[in-house]
Amino acid sequence: MIARVLLGTAGALVAAYGAFLALTRQETGQLVEVAVWLAAGVLVHDVLLSGALLLAGLAGRRLVPPSWRTPATVALVVWGSLTLVAVPVLGRFGARADNPTLLDRPYAASWLVLLVATVTVVVLVGLVRRRSATASTGRRAD
Amino acid sequence: MKAPAPEHFGSRLRSPAVAARVGVWLGLSFGVCFLTGLVSHWAQAPSPTVPFPTSPAWGYRLTQGLHVSTGMAAIPLLLVKLWSVYPRLFERVDLTGGRRLVLTVLERGSIAVLVASAIFQLVTGLLNAAQWYPWTAFSFRSTHYALAWVAIGALLVHVAVKLPVIRDVIARDIDETQHDRPTAVETGPVSRRGLVRSALAASGVAVLATAGSTVPVLRSVSPFGVRSGDGPGGVPINKSARAAGVVDRASDAAYRLRIVVDGTEVASLGLEDLRALPQRTEVLPIACVEGWSASGTWGGVRVSDVLAATGLATDRDVGVMSLQRKGAFRRTVLPAHFAADDRTLLALDLAGEPLDLDHGFPCRIIAPNRPGVLQTKWVASLEVST
Repeated sequence: MIARVLLGTAGALVAAYGAFLALTRQETGQLVEVAVWLAAGVLVHDVLLSGALLLAGLAGRRLVPPSWRTPATVALVVWGSLTLVAVPVLGRFGARADNPTLLDRPYAASWLVLLVATVTVVVLVGLVRRRSATASTGRRAD
Repeated sequence: MKAPAPEHFGSRLRSPAVAARVGVWLGLSFGVCFLTGLVSHWAQAPSPTVPFPTSPAWGYRLTQGLHVSTGMAAIPLLLVKLWSVYPRLFERVDLTGGRRLVLTVLERGSIAVLVASAIFQLVTGLLNAAQWYPWTAFSFRSTHYALAWVAIGALLVHVAVKLPVIRDVIARDIDETQHDRPTAVETGPVSRRGLVRSALAASGVAVLATAGSTVPVLRSVSPFGVRSGDGPGGVPINKSARAAGVVDRASDAAYRLRIVVDGTEVASLGLEDLRALPQRTEVLPIACVEGWSASGTWGGVRVSDVLAATGLATDRDVGVMSLQRKGAFRRTVLPAHFAADDRTLLALDLAGEPLDLDHGFPCRIIAPNRPGVLQTKWVASLEVST
């Protein structure tokens, strides 16, 4: 318990130091924008992204046959978060005409290749799982 | 339509057993990311109390590569972590009890601070690494620094509050249900172990897919690296001569490097004067704060030789002024021990060729273990105060 109190107190002090830095080193207008970004980040996650995932779960239960649900879920976690990480390079938002060494890869093509590869793997794994599921129920019927 | 409540979420994957396990990895990523971030701010401080070391030459390349990589690794982990605890967002606050109410408000307040600052840090860091700055007013540098302290502080508070649950669920099998919500009983499309492994896999894939900008052997497997690593002399460019507004001054044949002591020019050297000094070759990395890095073979003269040639000792900090007319880093300070280091060059060549205009022609600073933003290009003058 003492360790927890010490840890919590240290955490509160560290966070307070950060808040002090944040509040004292910039103008009000800048701080307002920081506050907007902080709130927007939470809202985009808690409403848009989480809402989309809830809908994906509902749709998955109705549309994806049982054998494909496991590979589809793993694929969604891996490929979905990779896609989010890739948003800044996919949009090439930081590209500059005077600097050809920046954002110099075929991002959209890579993303499409990864999408096709992921879907293919999900379909194949699902087929294998369905075959082994039918095989085992078949044996049980014998 | 009813307001959502925790009992509406039936999946047994949304459980403390999953949250704690993903959380441990997330906490580790945040810890390394925070510490390497502090190193970066230390490296960029103009005159820190404890001097930043000049060795190992690849030190900053390593720490900043780790900073960006652990930040990338944290993104999938944070998403899965938040998904696993999402039902708690809809818990009703008991407004009746005095002490309990205060504790609840404090706990949920600390969670709000933690979630908001964590998302902010990862998003702004991700955008900065891709040189995308959609914000208009705030300073990335000072905000990312301040909120890092907020996020780490809130994380420590969170761990202190949750420690008993964390220890208990980690000690037990992942599928045990002691700490589950009563309604979290539906089997999911993957097992709990499968979800944790998927999160770790996603994290590893995110790092591999982006780390090619800093780890040369990963270039061929990093489809989303911000840079392929190509560029004049095998080194990419962060800011072009055109963007810096120095094309005319840097390519002027009458260019002379000015040596300034206490605000007075005491000497000036043309390119042929610099070429007449002893020429050295050093293999040193350019390691940018945005996380990319590349090793180069630099040719040129030691900064200490330039100072000695004009009769100056190398026991003082050296101000390095760029030909740039604006920009936060147009003047940087080369601390005395960096200026005295034999590997610190006023580089004239890269990979055996004269510097490209975008790499800082006519001459640039290249020193060991130093953030790229301080490796001043298009050097106009070296300034010493006595």
